[in-house]
Amino acid sequence: MSVLSVHNLIYGYSKGTPFETGALKGVSLDFRQGEIVAVIGHTGSGKSTLLQHLNGLLKPDSGDVLFEGESIYKSKESLRKCRFDVGLCFQYPEQQLFESSVYKDIAFGPSNMGLSDGEIKRRVYDAIKFVGLSEDYLEKSPFDLSGGEKRRVAIAGVISMEPKVLILDEPTAGLDPIGKKNLLRLIKDYNAKTGSTVIFVSHNMDDVAAVAERVIVMNKGEAVLDGTVSQVYSQGELLSSLGLDVPEITSIFLELKKSGFDLGETEYTVSGASDAILRYLKKEGLYD
Amino acid sequence: MIMEKIIEFKNVSFRYSDDETDALKDLNLDLYAGQFTCILGHNGSGKSTMAKLMNALLLPTAGSVVSFGLPTDNEDNEIEIRRNVGMVFQNPDNQIVATIVEDDVAFGPENLGVPRDEIRRRVDEALKIVDMYEYRRHEPHRLSGGQKQRVAIAGVIAMQTRCIVLDEPTAMLDPKGRREVMAALLKLKNELGISVVLVTHFMDEAVLADRVVVVNNGGICLDGTPAQVFSEKDVLQDIGLTVPKPLELVSVLKENGVKIKGSPLTCAEFVECFKEFTKNRG
Repeated sequence: MSVLSVHNLIYGYSKGTPFETGALKGVSLDFRQGEIVAVIGHTGSGKSTLLQHLNGLLKPDSGDVLFEGESIYKSKESLRKCRFDVGLCFQYPEQQLFESSVYKDIAFGPSNMGLSDGEIKRRVYDAIKFVGLSEDYLEKSPFDLSGGEKRRVAIAGVISMEPKVLILDEPTAGLDPIGKKNLLRLIKDYNAKTGSTVIFVSHNMDDVAAVAERVIVMNKGEAVLDGTVSQVYSQGELLSSLGLDVPEITSIFLELKKSGFDLGETEYTVSGASDAILRYLKKEGLYD
Repeated sequence: MIMEKIIEFKNVSFRYSDDETDALKDLNLDLYAGQFTCILGHNGSGKSTMAKLMNALLLPTAGSVVSFGLPTDNEDNEIEIRRNVGMVFQNPDNQIVATIVEDDVAFGPENLGVPRDEIRRRVDEALKIVDMYEYRRHEPHRLSGGQKQRVAIAGVIAMQTRCIVLDEPTAMLDPKGRREVMAALLKLKNELGISVVLVTHFMDEAVLADRVVVVNNGGICLDGTPAQVFSEKDVLQDIGLTVPKPLELVSVLKENGVKIKGSPLTCAEFVECFKEFTKNRG
């Protein structure tokens, strides 16, 4: 069942000026309950503009956004409800921390939802635990934390609203390999535990391969590819023509196939690739 | 051949004022002219601190840093050191000052009191090197991240610095922007002979360097060519770094008993190794 869908979204920036650009040119997509979707595309492809429509931060010039079958723009109430059900975490969210303690910062969202103090407290404690930080952090000032910790606190602030759809704009940008790995695990865990849909934007094709089930490629304001990771990554040449990279493992695979090695389906992880190569070598009698 | 030392760290320790531990501990390192050196390490390893010590943005708490023969802790050397060693930071939006691209590139040489005609010449040349000449009259805020970073790099070149230090310049860029910046840096080294010091945690950038220095816990843990450094898979994994994917794939195949030879760092190298292996076995 689709939890969130967009129909024929059209949106332009700087309308009526010489800088007018069509940021979205008729995008239609369905996001199903419980799936992890990656949205990729180079800078200016319209992916962030698309995300900002998903919880009604932007209003399209035409087209509609439906949450659980109803237009989010129908009334003030439906828009407000959507802001809580669809949690949006911006790029570099740590820049938006503002409270005097980690507790207050994480509690900001749930407080605005009109929940009881007890419920807010439960959610703050659940959220901090979820992002892998101990309760000791709750009394600290968010500004005394490291970059990776701040990022996790900011994400906890969105998770504490317990959104049915969690949206993250480039969640791993600027993190080192371990920070990245932890954050990707967190995305997977949130999805597995809550059954929520997760939609994230990334430039990093390896990150996408590690967690996403479905990939949507944006280019010039349109969704040009939509499929499983393997389906999308097998279009290596199309992706590079759109200014995107395929993961290194995939380029190795595509190059080997071009050289005549029949390796089967396009792989994108080290373990998938090594399995496929071992199978091939066995078949050819080069390995026993 | 004796290589010219450009930056020397001598028993350098550094501690930020409100911290309880040292960010760098008794570190020794010499960087050489004309090389592309990559400094790798996870967040908090001390690599950015090292970068800022190179042109006296920070001064060591103990020990000394000598930049092109000049100790950084002597205030009289500051201008000359900054003239020799230019810096580019992570966020392109934080380092552009002018409203037109070419004015931004001219900002450095203007401050050095370079004559007008000479500035014009340097700005044009610098923009051509980073492939941004056709954007010289554009407004910087309308450029992509990769384009902005290349303008920032042009600003450093226009000052005719002998060394450029970049602190994670591609962290906020998309793949295309990253490729553009890396291409510009290789050009600086190869065509202008400028020494490049790149602080990063992207392994695919490190494989392009002449030398890779891995920093951990405020000290140097590995130092060598990319091939030497990335052969230390276990050490790298212990400190939270990864090895390039082509090398990881070859190691997994070897662990499974495939007698493939070589240590490929790039996709092309892997494909070569694989062809060689199947040819010899077939």
